[in-house]
Amino acid sequence: MTPGDHQTSALDEALAALVGQPVGNGRTVAPDPVNQPMIRHWAAAFEDANPVYTDVEAATASRFGEIVAPPLMLQTWTMATPTITGIRERGGSPVEGDDAAVLSLLDDAGFVGTLATNSEFEIMRPLHLGDRVSATTVVETVSEEKRTRLGPGRFLTWVTTYVDDAGEVVGTQRFRILKFKPEGLS
Amino acid sequence: MTTSLDWHTITVGDALTPLVIDVTATVIVAGAIATRDYMPVHHDRDYANAQGAPDIFMNILSDTGCCSRFLTDWAGPDAMVTRLAIRLGVPVFPGHTLAYTGTVTDLSRTADEGFVEIEFTAIDDLGEHVSGTATISLPVDPADGDRS
Repeated sequence: MTPGDHQTSALDEALAALVGQPVGNGRTVAPDPVNQPMIRHWAAAFEDANPVYTDVEAATASRFGEIVAPPLMLQTWTMATPTITGIRERGGSPVEGDDAAVLSLLDDAGFVGTLATNSEFEIMRPLHLGDRVSATTVVETVSEEKRTRLGPGRFLTWVTTYVDDAGEVVGTQRFRILKFKPEGLS
Repeated sequence: MTTSLDWHTITVGDALTPLVIDVTATVIVAGAIATRDYMPVHHDRDYANAQGAPDIFMNILSDTGCCSRFLTDWAGPDAMVTRLAIRLGVPVFPGHTLAYTGTVTDLSRTADEGFVEIEFTAIDDLGEHVSGTATISLPVDPADGDRS
């Protein structure tokens, strides 16, 4: 066994121990309840004219009976409020000290590049104005090292469960990122 | 877009209304900030260059947003997306044209909901940016038969 193999296997063991464990603090509460300004901003960005998001009259007449948030906006509600100062120096991390153990392990092993590759949502119900969403994220899998077009990498998959104030599940999301060792960059 | 598709009139093989997005830096930045994704690769070209990318590129939450619009622009305001699975291919950079196309692959229903399974892709100047599948739900009258 070469020292390199030994290092890889130690990393594999450390990563394997994190499977099934929460990512980061475990539970993230949305900074704001579901609200019209953020929905309007989101719909404007994608030029989405669906009236059930912003037009009370049309929404009332629809199957939903009231304004709803775009179901696929789910992930946006629990995104961290960023500290803009220093964001570049933190490699894009929105806030200080939010690095999940699994990401730190991969970063420290040289897998500093990050690329989102898959996102899979199941939506149980649309969100209404005033709903407060919380998210719990758990590591599902970490792949072995693979050759990718960007360099050697590992695929990290986590599963987030989103719940409302009552603790009812409103949606789930499986999210996969590639952590890679950038090649050809100097 | 004030009327929704009648689930009974949809058939397997139907094409969704194509969606073409002329992607600019503004489109990418607007989407990143509206989805509260402040990773600099989505708004800071110098930073993106230092990461080996030729320009800023669209974030995955914006892809989800574009998919949402693509699906409900076609099906109407009573449609609800209940499932989405996307895989990212090549990135989208400013100056690209991003073209969504999709097809109905299956239909099913419960008493008051009709479901539509969809397969779709989004192609940009480099190739396939997104490939995915989705399920949307449309309201149906429990008194109506399965298919007209």
